[in-house]
This record gives sequence, C-alpha cells and structure tokens, in this order.
Amino acid sequence: MKEITTPDFTDAIGNANEINELLRRFGVKFGIYKNGEFKEQFFPFDPIPRVIDAEQFADIENGLIQRVDALNSFLYDIYHDKKIVRDGIIPEDFIYISSGYLAQCEGITPKNKIYSHISGIDLVQGKDGEWYILEDNLRIPSGASYPLIARELTRIASPDAFRKNNIVDNRNYADLLCETMEYVNCGGIRAILTPGRYNAAYFEHSYLAEHTGSILVRSDELFVEDNILWHKTYSGQKTRIGVLYRRISDEYLDPLTFLPESLIGIPNLMEAYRSGNVGIINAPGNGVADDKGIYYFVPKMIKYYLGEEPILKNAPTYLPFYEDDRKYVIDNLDRLVIKDVAEAGGYGVVFGSDMTAEKLGNLKDMILSQPRRFIAQEVIDFLDLPILDDGQTVMRKADLRAFVLSGETTRVWASGLTRFSRNPDSFVVNSSQGGGFKDTWVRSL
Amino acid sequence: MGTISLEHSDCLYWLGRYTERVFTTLKALQETYDNMLDKNIGYEEYLGYFELPDKYDNNIDFLRSFLFDKQNFSSVAYSLERAYDNGIVLREDISTEAFSFLQVAKDPLKNAKSAKNTRLALLPLEDVLYGFWGCIADNIYDEEIKNIIYCGKSTERLDLYLRMKYPYDEVNREFERLCIRLRRVPKNTPYRYNTKFLSDLVEIIGEENEYDLNSGKAVSSLERLFESA
Repeated sequence: MKEITTPDFTDAIGNANEINELLRRFGVKFGIYKNGEFKEQFFPFDPIPRVIDAEQFADIENGLIQRVDALNSFLYDIYHDKKIVRDGIIPEDFIYISSGYLAQCEGITPKNKIYSHISGIDLVQGKDGEWYILEDNLRIPSGASYPLIARELTRIASPDAFRKNNIVDNRNYADLLCETMEYVNCGGIRAILTPGRYNAAYFEHSYLAEHTGSILVRSDELFVEDNILWHKTYSGQKTRIGVLYRRISDEYLDPLTFLPESLIGIPNLMEAYRSGNVGIINAPGNGVADDKGIYYFVPKMIKYYLGEEPILKNAPTYLPFYEDDRKYVIDNLDRLVIKDVAEAGGYGVVFGSDMTAEKLGNLKDMILSQPRRFIAQEVIDFLDLPILDDGQTVMRKADLRAFVLSGETTRVWASGLTRFSRNPDSFVVNSSQGGGFKDTWVRSL
Repeated sequence: MGTISLEHSDCLYWLGRYTERVFTTLKALQETYDNMLDKNIGYEEYLGYFELPDKYDNNIDFLRSFLFDKQNFSSVAYSLERAYDNGIVLREDISTEAFSFLQVAKDPLKNAKSAKNTRLALLPLEDVLYGFWGCIADNIYDEEIKNIIYCGKSTERLDLYLRMKYPYDEVNREFERLCIRLRRVPKNTPYRYNTKFLSDLVEIIGEENEYDLNSGKAVSSLERLFESA
C-alpha cells in the first residue's frame, strides 16, 4: 500500500491544455439552445481536482445510501399505500399538486421495487467542512460520463499525478450501470433511449451506450407489440428490449399515457412496463420525490422508513406553505435564496441579496399568493475550490453531483461530477449557464 | 450487438460514403492543383466531370471553394461535416476512438485555410483519414456493421472514379472490391444489391476492351444499385 501523501496536482495542472485538447478530440460536448439555435459546446475542464479523503467519503457514501434507500421506499409508498401521508408526515398537498406526481403510475411495482436506479444527488461542502444536500435528482440525472472520460484522459495526460497519489479508480461506472440495468432486466437486450443528437446530453447517451454495450435508440426504432417492447431491425426482424434506460422526460415517454402530442415517445410503453415486461430506468413518476418542495421532507422520510437519523444534512430550508416558515421567509427574504420548485438546471433560483427593493416586493407578493410554488433556503457559505483561470489559480464556488446506483444493493460511485462557476460572483454552477467541471479524487486508504 | 435499425444502417452507409468523398475529393483536387501550375485555368475538366457551372474567378477561388466552403456541396469541408454528422450518432457502433478522427480531421482543414502552402498543410488530413479507417477496421467487431460502412465507402469511390473517368484498371479494382462487400450483405436489408443493376454494372465494366470511359451508364446503374427489386 502506498503511503498517503499530500495531493500533488502539479503534473495535472501542467497538462491542462493537453487534457482539454483530448476532451475536444473525443467530442466531449453538451448541447445548448441559444436564441432558438442549437449549438454544441465543449464542457470546460479544470485540471485541479477536488480531493475527498477516504474517511470523509465513507460518511458521504453512508449518508447517500441511506437517503436514496429512503427515497425509493417513499416512491413505492406513494404509488401504493401512501402511509407517509396517512400518518401525517407529509401533507398530501405536496404529493398531489407536484408536477412530478403521475397518477398514471399508481399501483405499478417496478421489478425489484426499485424506482430510482440512478440518483444524482447534489451536495456542497460548507466552510465548516460539513456536507449539505442541495438537491435530489431522481428522474434522469446526467453528468456521469464527463468525469468518467475525463479520468481516462487525465491518466493519459498526467500519469505522475496518479502515480504519486492514492486515488480510487472510478472507471467502473459503466460496469456499475450495466449491473444496475441487468438487475431490472425483464428479458432482452439493454437499450438507451435518446431524444436524438440535438439533446443537451447526447454525448452522454452515446458514450454510456458504447461503454455498457447497450444499443442507443430513438423512439421511432422501437414499438410495443403484445405488451412487449421491441427494436425494429433493418432486416424487418425485431429484437426484444428487456431494460430501457430512457433519457427523455416522463411526460414524453408514452403518448397514449402522458402527453398525446409527444413525437418522441413509444405508444403503449407504459402498458409493457406495467405488465412487467420491460424495466424502465428511472421509473416514471419519480419526480414526486425530487420535487424541491419534497426535499424538505427527506430527513423525515429517513426517520419514517428506516428509523434512522439522517447522516447528511439538508441545507436549512423553509416552506412558505407553513405559516411560521412563510413569516420567516417574508421577514428575511433579502438574505435567503428562493427557488421556484417548477424550475431546474439552475433556473428559477434567486438570491434575495441581489434583488432590488421593487423585485423583492414582487417576489413577496408571489410567495404570499402561491406559497406552494417556492422554497427558501439559507445561503450556505460553501467552500470555494481552486480553479485555473488563464494561468492563475482563483477560487470559485463548486458543488458535487454524486451518483448512487440502486440494484441488488445501493452503491455510490467513488467519484462524481464536480461543477464550478466560472463567474467569481456566482453560486450557479450548471453547465448550461457557463459552468465547468473538474475531476473528483476520492483518496483510498 | 446484432441488432441494427434502419436509421443506423443508413448512417453507417453514409458515414462510409462521405468519409470516402472527403478522401477522394482531396486526392483529385491535389491533382487538379498540380495541373494548375501549368495553366491559367486548371479546373475546367474537374467541373466538367460533375457537370458543375464555372462560377470561379481563378484557380485559387476554385480551390478555396472546393476545399473549404461548407456551402459548396461538392467541397471537402461539406463532406467532412456530413461524415461527422453521421459519425456522431454512431459512437456506440464505431467507438469513441474512431469518431475522434472525424473531429480531429477538422483541424488540418482549418489550418490549411490560412497556410502558406495549402497542399503541405493538407497532408495531415490524409493521415487522419487513414487513421479513421484503421480504427474502423480494428475497433468494430460486428462484421455486419463494418460491411455496411465499407459498402458506402466502395460505392462512393467507384462513383467518383467513374465520374472522373479514372483508368479502367482502377475502376475495375474498386468494382471488384465492392462486389466482395455486396456479397456479404444479408438478404432483405436495405444495402442488398439489386440483381438487375449489378448485372448491368458487370456487363458495363466487365471487359477492358469493351469499357467505354465516357459512357454514363455505369454511374446510372450504380445510382440504382440498392433499389428494391
């Protein structure tokens, strides 16, 4: 076993250009629509890794497993007995008016009772060293492919950085994903369903298909017959799909069940799924559990379903739905961060401290008239991470999206997507808003 | 993986065609460039092969258009973009490594645009294309997938050779290569040959002493080679 040393990034930093050149070469891009036009952008990579010590990661890992297990229990409960509502732990308002709750999924039990097979949990580390959960993403969380390919390339560009440091090898994500898919495979081949090349995460869809040995399909290549999902081959034959890792939103998945105008869905897919003839990753209807309003209740879920104290903390959150919280939010609006529960991708997030008196007034009116639409959180003074900017090291806000895979057991990928803001004054790290990413080193003992 | 959709087969075929079109066009333009060293206007013959109008002020104007202008459907740049468009949706079939060559191929073309010596600057593009084909040969284990790409490649090369009136030996060699690939295409798939048009091609290209370099019949039959019977 190698001796633990202070992380040595020198080699990685010195090869920043080479790594970015390799990322460009391998087409590591994301799509973005600006003024109605599709553009492909390279995802800026910063060579200074985020380093998480083994012991610290073990705590995060335990906390994430606990959280995702509770969320999976919640999803089963909500689409079956709703005990958590009947027992008064979560008000029913937060279930039935959530846009993520899908009545069409009532009574469906996915294979092995797993709803969230791939969970993307966003965390930040406070300046006190404590990790806080910012958001749960249980629908179609994206981003694993970027650190996956980045590690492949940094090992090429900066071999000494890996020789000198004990870093857990994270290149097993495709294996973990394969095992997760196989655990809910209902008999057939694996497929990844993409909306197509002009989707923001198309690189990820194709990269994961390549590395899991799945076929990458669009909906017009699939059809349901006799409640079974098939892939149409070019010779007029058909091949059965046993598990579908879909990368399109619930509402577009099946025009006969959800939005009838969807052109990217597969008619009757939900019937095949309901009949247990195909596994869908992640399960439709998961949005009810990652709603920003439901986030507030996750610690309560952990106690309710698992009988345990939460290991990881939520950011201090207030629900204007409750009168006491509403009063607090209105009185402290200028120092809180307000999130519109219907938005995602860093949109619909405003900081009271950045708003004019007039805008604060308007926001107060909106909160009072639509209290269920918003949550408010204390601004966590989260840790800045060093990034390389034009040859200089500067400090920027960064978060961590951890990936939790639920199959026979629940496992945390020893890596994650560390995203950072390139704007010195911003807390928003999303790639769609100009953020970059860096490798996440989990130190081994 | 043994399951190829109609959409993928189409992209595989056109990936082969466009990548080959980049390569053969590049080669032909190099020859045209060489002719230009001795002539004021050295591209008329080239335009004639493709029945294209002369809209060019001079040799340089022609070359820049046929090399770099993405709006010119006959240019190297246009074909490379289309090869890339087909490649990007085939990453899981052709591998990230093979696809990366299509990204990398854009660099020498871009560099050549501002280089003092265009021909020298374009040499790395040839290297990249050879690398791409090496990667295709090496990384794709599914022979059916590989063969569709090769069918596209051979069809494109034969088409261009016929149009540009290449010598019989070269045309015949490419035709024989295409025939080998066609024989591997499963029945009831889109790139299964049409017997009539294949027979026509055999007859037209068959014997050197009967081969008419200037006849357009071979091109017409090749265009209809994959028509349903």
